Amino acid sequence: MWKSAFLLILSFGTIARAQTPQELVQDAIQKQQAGDLEGAIAEYKQFLKLHPEATAAIHSNLGAALAGLGRFEEAVPEYKTALRQSPALAAARLNLALVYYKMGRVAEAATELAKVHSEDPSNEQATLLLGDCYLRMGREKDVIRVLEPEEPKHPEDAAIAYMLGTALIRDKQVEKGQLLVDRILRNGDSAEAHLMLGSAKMNVGDFAGARDEFAKAVALNPNLAEVHVLYAKALVLTGDSDQSSKEFKAELAVDPFNFDSNLQLGATSRQEQNYEQANRYFTRALKTRPGDPGVRYQLALIALDEGKPDDARQMLEPLIRESPQFTEAHVSLSLAYYRLKRPADGKREQEIVQKLTAEAQAKQPGAKAQ
Amino acid sequence: MKFTRREWIRLASTFGATQLFGGRGTSGQPQPLFVEVPPSASGIEWVHENAMSPSRYLPEALGPGCAFLDYDNDGWMDIFLVNSGPSDFWTPSKPVRNALYKNNRDGTFADITEKAGVTGAYFGMGTAVGDYDNDGWPDIFVTAYGKCILYKNNHDGTFKDVTEKARVATPGWSTSAVWFDYDNDGRLDLFVCSFVDYSGVRKLECGNNQIGRNYYCVPRVFKPTASSLYHNNGDGTFTEVSKGTAIAKALGKGLGVVATDINNDGRMDLFVANDTVQNFLFMNRGPGSNGRWIWEEVALQAGVGFSESGRPRSGMGVDAADLTGDGWQDLFVANVDHEMFSVYENNKDETFRDAAQAHGVARATRLLSGWGLKYFDYDNDGSADLLLADGHPDDMIDSYSMQVKYKEPLLLFHQGLDRKLHDISESAGPAFQECLAARGLAVGDYDNDGAIDVLIGTNGGAPVLLKNNAAKGNNWLGLKLEGVRCNRDAIGARILWKAGGKSRQRLKNNGGSYLSSHDLREVLGIGDAAQIDELEVHWPAPSKRIEKFTSVASNRYIHIVEGKGIV
Repeated sequence: MWKSAFLLILSFGTIARAQTPQELVQDAIQKQQAGDLEGAIAEYKQFLKLHPEATAAIHSNLGAALAGLGRFEEAVPEYKTALRQSPALAAARLNLALVYYKMGRVAEAATELAKVHSEDPSNEQATLLLGDCYLRMGREKDVIRVLEPEEPKHPEDAAIAYMLGTALIRDKQVEKGQLLVDRILRNGDSAEAHLMLGSAKMNVGDFAGARDEFAKAVALNPNLAEVHVLYAKALVLTGDSDQSSKEFKAELAVDPFNFDSNLQLGATSRQEQNYEQANRYFTRALKTRPGDPGVRYQLALIALDEGKPDDARQMLEPLIRESPQFTEAHVSLSLAYYRLKRPADGKREQEIVQKLTAEAQAKQPGAKAQ
Repeated sequence: MKFTRREWIRLASTFGATQLFGGRGTSGQPQPLFVEVPPSASGIEWVHENAMSPSRYLPEALGPGCAFLDYDNDGWMDIFLVNSGPSDFWTPSKPVRNALYKNNRDGTFADITEKAGVTGAYFGMGTAVGDYDNDGWPDIFVTAYGKCILYKNNHDGTFKDVTEKARVATPGWSTSAVWFDYDNDGRLDLFVCSFVDYSGVRKLECGNNQIGRNYYCVPRVFKPTASSLYHNNGDGTFTEVSKGTAIAKALGKGLGVVATDINNDGRMDLFVANDTVQNFLFMNRGPGSNGRWIWEEVALQAGVGFSESGRPRSGMGVDAADLTGDGWQDLFVANVDHEMFSVYENNKDETFRDAAQAHGVARATRLLSGWGLKYFDYDNDGSADLLLADGHPDDMIDSYSMQVKYKEPLLLFHQGLDRKLHDISESAGPAFQECLAARGLAVGDYDNDGAIDVLIGTNGGAPVLLKNNAAKGNNWLGLKLEGVRCNRDAIGARILWKAGGKSRQRLKNNGGSYLSSHDLREVLGIGDAAQIDELEVHWPAPSKRIEKFTSVASNRYIHIVEGKGIV
């Protein structure tokens, strides 16, 4: 959905006085423009050896060249150096955000994009990308805050309508979301429309209907953001776990850092006791949503499975402090304490499990109907 | 049945080719491991009435149980089948009754229910057979939605309803039950699983699903209940003794129970499978200082209460056996689809590890919902195998699930030399290709050939009787153990035997499966060994007597009486 838009920043600043270095930079820029990124990188680096005091623009250009080759890990420090030197360099910040986004570090991308958006609310690329990041992070209210002002300006933009509509529906503002669905529908049989219809059906518990809508969306545009993961979730809820795994994997082919896909496939791998693979999925999920309780819990379960109850305990104790209603985490912490021969602590956690279970049971219809 | 070359090679590598044949002198074609015996051949024409209504009252979906028992002590296994019946949500338009079939000793059965007087009176669920009065004749306990019934055997082919006198009616919704001697006083006590509190909520409708009709409520919506433990007073009465113990405090939704000895301390413990809440493992800690029996519920710390993800599962069928051959009892729980079943291996310290993945059971059961099941040595090679009866509880699941079906196949696992369970269902014969709404499952050798047969109760259908062909070619010894000081059924006895240089042992557990009761005799498989070189019976307390036998000839049933040897 999002194409990287690396902006080439041409600035000669301090290097203009030195003939040879200037030629070096000009040559690097020409190479970068011509697509010879390896050559450009070599010359930028050579220049930086000679002039370590070089401007933010040089670091930014080098970052762009590195990013162009997919060398994101190397690009990040270059952009950061550029931004330390020129914090107002919006293009470098946007590029840094794009690199983070491509690395699946969605939370860090959102942080940078929020700064760009704050400085320049008219930057549409930053705004849309920020909305997308928030959607991936499950921050629906932030999606709505960022995109709702944009929507009237771009009534024909299916991407905005899709993201905002999805956020509204997930935020239980179904009627408002439905208006956007209708708008997309008026534009014909689009993947976005089926995706939104599917989301609406999921929200009202019509999982089979949602599954069918998502299947159509996948057929129309398999590259649409989150199309596979939503289809996969509907397949899980309609009992087709084999196909759902395929769809989660298809989502990762489009977006390797999709949170839900990594979490689900990680959990499946853990269940199959393929802990190495599970760890890989969970690590990527945590990059998208650092500190996510669900992923941290899964990692604690791996520790328990692998006979490392103290490692599990260390992961679970902060988790239940942050999420005291997380019953499963209390169960596992209790088990970890028992394995560590701390029966008093185990019993305490067990009693919490019983209390939470009883509270949940009391809310069931069978507890009230007579 | 024709086997492809590929199937043949696979089967042969698992069993050894000779065991594939139905018997000596066959044409060379391998026979199915189990063959379904149709009603026309068995004479079992009874059909379960599940009373399925448009409202989809949950008790409709849970039955029936079944049993192998020798009610007339003629040495041949008879069959008891539990039916539904009148209840506060259903009035039958025509008579509905249980069925007791007498074994005619020729592969056929005769319906003697009316004469026996075991027709039932409530919405029956399951059965537990045991000689609670130590008179040498099996008695029948029937669980139900409504009230339970205890039928005392009159020794003349009839039974008497002694429920009120015995004080075991257990009003409510009871499911599986098990006879066992928890206090080692030589008399069988009774544990009765209670499912949910259905009183007053039966009209609760769980409906308007994707196909716009009512469906069976997930038990999660109903309140949990405590199960009951009855102490046998020895005078035909029982006393409910769970009050003040962990059993009464543990509110569950019990569906399956097995009595076994988890820690080898000589006291029978209880493992209860609960639906949508955690399972319970009640450790029998013996008498307390105040005389009250101490039960400790340890499922969570034992690792058998929740899934490894910390979630309660929908436990239904259970069993216990020494799967790994280390002298310690391992456990099994069948759950609902996508939860996978559990193979809990005993760590010998009152904790367990779930080895379902390692055994391939998790993958094989991922889409299935399991009820009746049994660890037993179907091919008499000496190692415990596993048979699972499956079926989704929701009869409309096919309408909104892509993969999960209402009727599901049986699964047969064979334990290989690698000590792992191997799913051989695909090549076990047509009975394993058929899909059933299976519920209860009992095993028993109804034709006394030493090959343990299988009986399966199906919801709203005819029972399925499977004759075992798989054990032919292997030798065996059948034991009928008769306690004298210990309980007459010898529940809790430990049997050790040595044959062909291999030593094995088995604890005589009771209960297990789902709503059902097995042949109480034990068949010891010895493979190609000609005889049992050494046999020991460790009778349970109070006697704890050990009796030893040597050079016991195989391929026959023997009757061993505590203190008297082979009679």
